[in-house]
Amino acid sequence: MEGAPAKGVLSHLSLLEVKARSRKTQLQQHSRVMELKAKVEALKTQREQLKAQIQTHQDLQKLRLAMDKQCADEEEENMEEESENSKLLRLMARHTQLKDLLHAHHLIGGYDIIKTRKGKGACVSIATAYEDVFLDTFNLEIDLKPTVKISRHNIPPFIPLNNLAEQNNMQTDLRVFLDTLSKHLNAFAGRKQQLKLVKEKHKSVEVMESNVLCSLLVLLFTVPREKTAVLCTLDYTDHTRCLPTRVHLESEDKQLPDSPQWKKNCTLLMETPVHKALITMKKMGSIA
Amino acid sequence: MEKMSDENTEEVKVLESEIERLQAEVESLQHQQQEINKDITFHYSQQMENALVFMCGQRQEGGKEMVMSRLKEELEELEEDVKLQTEINGITLNSCTTKTLQNSGRKLVQQLSLSGNCSELVFQVEFQLSEIKDSERSKRTIGDLNVVLDSSDLQNFSSFLSRVEESRDLLLFFRTLRTFSDRCDDRSRTFQQFQDKYPSVIALPGGPRSEVMTLNHPKLPGCMLFIHWSVDVSREGVVTPKISLLTKIPERALQLFPSQAVGGAAEAFESLLRILGPEAALESIIQAVSLSQET
Repeated sequence: MEGAPAKGVLSHLSLLEVKARSRKTQLQQHSRVMELKAKVEALKTQREQLKAQIQTHQDLQKLRLAMDKQCADEEEENMEEESENSKLLRLMARHTQLKDLLHAHHLIGGYDIIKTRKGKGACVSIATAYEDVFLDTFNLEIDLKPTVKISRHNIPPFIPLNNLAEQNNMQTDLRVFLDTLSKHLNAFAGRKQQLKLVKEKHKSVEVMESNVLCSLLVLLFTVPREKTAVLCTLDYTDHTRCLPTRVHLESEDKQLPDSPQWKKNCTLLMETPVHKALITMKKMGSIA
Repeated sequence: MEKMSDENTEEVKVLESEIERLQAEVESLQHQQQEINKDITFHYSQQMENALVFMCGQRQEGGKEMVMSRLKEELEELEEDVKLQTEINGITLNSCTTKTLQNSGRKLVQQLSLSGNCSELVFQVEFQLSEIKDSERSKRTIGDLNVVLDSSDLQNFSSFLSRVEESRDLLLFFRTLRTFSDRCDDRSRTFQQFQDKYPSVIALPGGPRSEVMTLNHPKLPGCMLFIHWSVDVSREGVVTPKISLLTKIPERALQLFPSQAVGGAAEAFESLLRILGPEAALESIIQAVSLSQET
């Protein structure tokens, strides 16, 4: 008779165990379901946010295009009933327009003026470039009151800053002074760049002499075959230009500078930037 | 018990596949957003960020009024800045549109289209801009420069324009444009001043922006002096004003008054120019023609 109740207890116990296990599984599954449901909600929110951001950007782009076209066609702004949101979008589009304009001013060689000390001072940058390559930028800190005066700068000493300031009435017309300074700096940067290119691309041509301002250049050419040496002096006396004002040739062969070929080369060197002139001269067989 | 377990497994499966689907959607939207971001080359200011967040439907402190008024303030600052740059650069830009052709971490290539004017000279400029970032510095180059100038003063400018498009010297173009514009403004201001001061003697047949000013005393209708003031631009961008005097005097008058003063006027004017400079030289000629006693 002891078997039957034991069986009953055992089976009851195992029933309880099964119940407990399945409740655990149930709870696990239930919490897993909750977990997954939460994840679904999070992903849905993320998706909606991304969609909203993308839509806003697209609306902004479209509005910007329309505003650009309006500017170009000089149409009257169509200020009919606008929703609050589209007013905000318009402000945002205008923001991007203005940023682009400021960037453009900078790119075309603008002076990027920043007023400092409540208008008593200013900082300007002068960008230089030669042909398609942008080169160094130079900076000036200027006092505007009581008189216009340059307080700090990183302009190289061989550029006559004070002379230029005087000659160009820096007091009355800052822009004209900056334009002249920019001309000098850009011409210097251009001559310097030409010298760099000569050294890089024309190893057969020896640079005998050059100066910091790059206003004097002496090159040694070798005539192919005869191996005659030709000394060429380029004088850039106009410091606002990148082309020489004088070309002088000297050679052991006294006839050479007067030959038609070298007279042509002389003209070429006067009218073409030196690194390009050398390419032509090589092609023509004048130099090695 | 079993049945509930099955149901749960079903639900789990359904949820898991929905999650997979949503993740794929989110990924593709993120990719789309990345593409859009490539076109935006400026970091948005804090106010722009706030506005963006607002537009996406998220509430913020202060609400819409705050976002709008702060953005308006920032816009005013930007407008001031544009005015400042316009004044110091001597160039007015009306529009700038940018198209990003390539934007990979190291290299940025954009196509820019600008329109504006420098005093009376209206331009449209298009160019490609490449920026390559190195570890220490970035290299900026211009590609494919195209310039259209909308103006009547153009013969002097065309050989310079074709040279500058070839060399792609964007900065040289704008520097030269400004100098050329300044010299043209000098001319038209001087011509206008003289016309205002001596209206009976001076005429500007081509208008105030033209190169020619005529001098003629009303009592001597057949005799005319022409001042030709051209502003030349060399291929490399050197701007040179040239002023010369031409006379139109009937043969008969020359025969009656064979004086050097009349016949040799052109050369004499050149000397006068060298000594007195353009304005004073012109004024003395005008006074001579108008037989004026003023000094």
